[in-house]
Amino acid sequence: MNTAKRPDLLDPYEVAQLGGVELVAEGVVEGVLAGLHRSPFRGFSVEFAEHRPYQPGDELRYLDWKMLGRSDRLLVKQYEEETNLRAMIVLDASRSMDWVGAERRLSKLEYAKRLAAALALVLLRQRDATGFVGFDERVRSVVRARSRRRQWWTLAAAVATLGPGGGTAAEPALYRVTDLLRRRGLVLFISDLLLDPKLALLALRYLRHRGHQVIVFHIMDPAELTLEGQPEARFEDPESGAGVVARPRELRAAYTDTVRRSIREWRSACRSGGIAYHHVLTDTPFGYVLRQAASRRVRRG
Amino acid sequence: MIAFLQPLALLGLAVAALPTVLHLFTRRVPPTVTFPAVRYLAETERQQSRRLKLRHLLLLLLRTALLTSVVLAAARPVVRVGLGGAHAPTALVLVVDNSLSSGAVVEGRRVVDLLAARARTILRRVNESDRLWLMQVDGLPRAATPAEALALLGGLEPSPRRLDLGQAVRAAAGVVESEALPSREVVVLSDLQRSAFSGGEPIATRVLAWAPGVMPEDRSLDSAAVEPPVWSPSGHVVAAVGGMRRAPVALRLSMGGREVARAVAYPGDRPSLPARGGRPGWLAARVALDPDELRGDDEWFLAVRVAEPAPAAAEAGAGRYVAEALAVLQEGGRAGRGRTVVLADRLAGVRSIILPPADPAAVGALNRSLAARGVPWRLGDRLDGEWQLRADGLGADGAAVRRRYRLVGSGVVLARADDEPWLVRDRDVVLLGSRLEDPWTDLPFTAGFVPFLDLLINRIAAGETRSLRAHPGDVVVLPADLEAVLTASGPLSLAGDRRITAPREPGVYFLRGVGGDTVGALEVNHDPRESRLAPVDRRLLRAAVGPGAELLSDGALDRELFGGARRADLSGALWLVALLAAALEFAVASIGAGTGRGRL
Repeated sequence: MNTAKRPDLLDPYEVAQLGGVELVAEGVVEGVLAGLHRSPFRGFSVEFAEHRPYQPGDELRYLDWKMLGRSDRLLVKQYEEETNLRAMIVLDASRSMDWVGAERRLSKLEYAKRLAAALALVLLRQRDATGFVGFDERVRSVVRARSRRRQWWTLAAAVATLGPGGGTAAEPALYRVTDLLRRRGLVLFISDLLLDPKLALLALRYLRHRGHQVIVFHIMDPAELTLEGQPEARFEDPESGAGVVARPRELRAAYTDTVRRSIREWRSACRSGGIAYHHVLTDTPFGYVLRQAASRRVRRG
Repeated sequence: MIAFLQPLALLGLAVAALPTVLHLFTRRVPPTVTFPAVRYLAETERQQSRRLKLRHLLLLLLRTALLTSVVLAAARPVVRVGLGGAHAPTALVLVVDNSLSSGAVVEGRRVVDLLAARARTILRRVNESDRLWLMQVDGLPRAATPAEALALLGGLEPSPRRLDLGQAVRAAAGVVESEALPSREVVVLSDLQRSAFSGGEPIATRVLAWAPGVMPEDRSLDSAAVEPPVWSPSGHVVAAVGGMRRAPVALRLSMGGREVARAVAYPGDRPSLPARGGRPGWLAARVALDPDELRGDDEWFLAVRVAEPAPAAAEAGAGRYVAEALAVLQEGGRAGRGRTVVLADRLAGVRSIILPPADPAAVGALNRSLAARGVPWRLGDRLDGEWQLRADGLGADGAAVRRRYRLVGSGVVLARADDEPWLVRDRDVVLLGSRLEDPWTDLPFTAGFVPFLDLLINRIAAGETRSLRAHPGDVVVLPADLEAVLTASGPLSLAGDRRITAPREPGVYFLRGVGGDTVGALEVNHDPRESRLAPVDRRLLRAAVGPGAELLSDGALDRELFGGARRADLSGALWLVALLAAALEFAVASIGAGTGRGRL
C-alpha cells in the first residue's frame, strides 16, 4: 500500500488541511480499518441480526461459511444492537488543550477532537453505541451513547463545536459517565492530563470498579517535552495564570526528566488500575494512535 | 610585598565588579510565554533551585575571579622573594645628575649635595660581586669600584651642562644588559626634571629613580639677543625671562664690565634693554637677573658688534623717497656722508643698493653690468599685481607691493613678495625688485621705511655678523676662515675638522680670523630646558623610559635596591588562574545546558 496516500499515516496537520473533523475522521478510519486484520472494538452479543459483506480485517470466525457454500459469497454475521458495546468518549476541552508549540502543527484540542471523531467512527462502524462527553472545569457537552445511523453526525457536530474552555476538572465528567453507562462499557478518556492526578485517577479507577474498560489518551505537544525558547522567560499557565521565571538552558534537562517521570507515573498508575494508557504526541499520525489503541484492546479481549 | 609594574591597569579592577553590577542592576522583566505545562516546570524549578543558586553563585565567583586575574596580570605584580641576606650579584649603573639644575637649593642644601649623599648610601651596599658604573652629567658610564666612585662624588659640583636623562638611562641599560649577572639595575639620582627626559625606545631594564624633594620655583633667562645685529653705535638687547609669572624681576645689562641698562619684567615677557655700544668693535655683554635658588640660569652672555654709521649716497635714479629717507638717517647720525654705500638704479659702486630703473629700456644694461660683476641675479619680467612683503628682521613686513621685476637667479634672499624673491644679496650688492616709490610699493609711506633703509645700508656696510651660539659642552663646527677661539686660558687653535667642544663655562668667546682680526663670537649659555624644574611623574617616567622604571621614595629605594633578582613576576601565574577560571566557567555554564535523554 502506498502510505503516502493514506490519511491515517499522514502528518496530522496535513490531514487536517483536507477538511473538517468529519472528513478527517472518515479518511483516517478508512485507512485504519483497511489495514487491520479484524475489527478492533467488537461486542460480545450472540444474537444474530444480519449479514454484511466481508471486509478485509474482519475476523474469520464471524464469516458465514454456510452462506459461502451456498452462494459462493463472503458474508459476515452481524449481531443484535442491544448486545453491542457501549462506549463513551470523554474529551478534555480545557484552555491548556488549546495550545500549540509550533507552526504547522495542530493544537492539542484540535488533535484530540479529530482523534475523538475517528474513534467514534470506528466504534459506530461496528455498530457499537457511542456517546460523547466534553468538559473543562465542568461538563460542557453530552451526547448519549447510541448506535443508530445518524449518531455519527450528532457526535461529529458535538465534537466540532466544542471550543476551548477554562480550567480542568475531569472528575465531574467521569462521574457523569457512570450515569450514562449503566452497563459495562468502554470509556475513552482524551486529555493532556494537566489536572489533579489524584482526583482524576480516583475517578478513572472508579470507572474500572464499575466494570468499564478505560483507555486514557495522554495528549501532549512535542514542545511540552523539552523546554525551549528565549534565554529567560516567565512561563505562564494559561488556566491558572501562575508563572515561573526560568532560563530554559539551565532547566532543560531537568525539565525533560520531570516530564518523563510524570509520564512514567501516569503509565504506572494506569497499569496498576487496569487502565490502558497511551501517550500521544500531536505530531503522531492518527492511524498510529488508533492502531496502537486497537491492538491493545484486542489483546485485552 | 607586592608591587605593580603597570599600576594604572589596576583601574581595570572596576571591571571585576561588572558581573555583580550586571546581576544587581540589569535585572529586567523577562517576556511572558504561555506554556500549559507550567506544573512540570514549577516542579523542576523547585527541585533544582538549590543547585541553580549554587551554580549562579559559582558562576559569579568564577567570572569575578577571571576578570580580577586578567586585570591583576595586566598590572604585572611582582613580589619579593627570599628576603634578607646578601643580594644577588648585580650590574649597577649609578646615574648622579649633576646638571645645571642640580645647583638649585632645596631646604638650605644644594640638590647636588643631596644627590651625592644619597649616592654614598647606595655605594655602601655595593659588594665585591657587583659590577658598578658611575654616570655623571657627561652621560658616559665609567666603571668604578665603590671607593673610586666615592672619591668622584667627593668633588661633585653642579655643571652648567644639561643631561638628557632619557638617553643616559638608555645608555646605562645598554651597559648593564651586556653583563651576565643575575640582576641588572640602573639607579637614577636626579631632580628628575620633566624636560630632561627625551623619548626613545622603551627599555625593559629595571630603573629605580629617586629625587631629593620638592624643587623650588625658578626664574631664568632663557635667551637674549642684540638688535640690530650691528650697532652703530646704539641698539638694544631683547631678553626672554622664564619661570612662573608671579612677581616681576629686575634685569641688568652689563657691557665691558659696566652696567649700562636696567629693566623690570614678568616671567614670560621679552623686555628690551637699550644701550650705546661706544667705539666700533666687539663687546661682551651680560644680562643678569637677581639671584634665586638656582643661580646657574640667572645670566646670559652675548656679543655686541659696534660699527661706525656707513657713509652713503643716493643717486637721482634711486628716487626722491630714498633720498629724503637717507637725509633723515644722515641727520640723525645713523648714516654718514660719502659713497661707501650707493643707492642707485645702476651698479654704481663697490657696495651698491640697486633699485630697478624707472626706464625699462635701462634694465638690459643693468643686467649686463650685474653679470659682468659676477652677481648671479638679474631683473626679469616686470609684473603688476598685489603682493605682500615678508622681510624678517628688516622692518618691512606686511608692506604692499604692486609692481615689481621678477628677480631671476640664486643666492641670499633677504625679503620676498609673497613667495618670490624681492630683495636679494650677493656679497656687497643688494638688488631690489621694486622701486621705492608710488605706484611700485607703499613701503615708503610706512613707519618702517626709514629703519628699513637704516638696516639695509648699515648691514651692507658692515657685512654680516657671525655670532655662534652653543651650550656648554656642545660640539661646534666653525667656519673655514677662522683661526682660533679666544678663551680665558689662551687662544684655542682649530683642528682640521674645525670642530671644537664649547667651553664648559658660559660666556662670550671671540673668534679670530685668519688675518688676526676678531670676526665673530661664540656665545656659550646654559640650556633653558635646565630651568624647567617641574619633575616627572611615574606615568611620564615610564612613558619616556620603559615599563621597568620605578619612581621611588627614600624608603622604597632602600627596599627595592638590589631587589631585581629577588622579585618574581606573578603575572604568569595570574594568567594561568584566569585561564583556569575561564575553563571552569565554561564547564559550569555548560552543565545543565544539555538536553535530557532517555526513553519516554
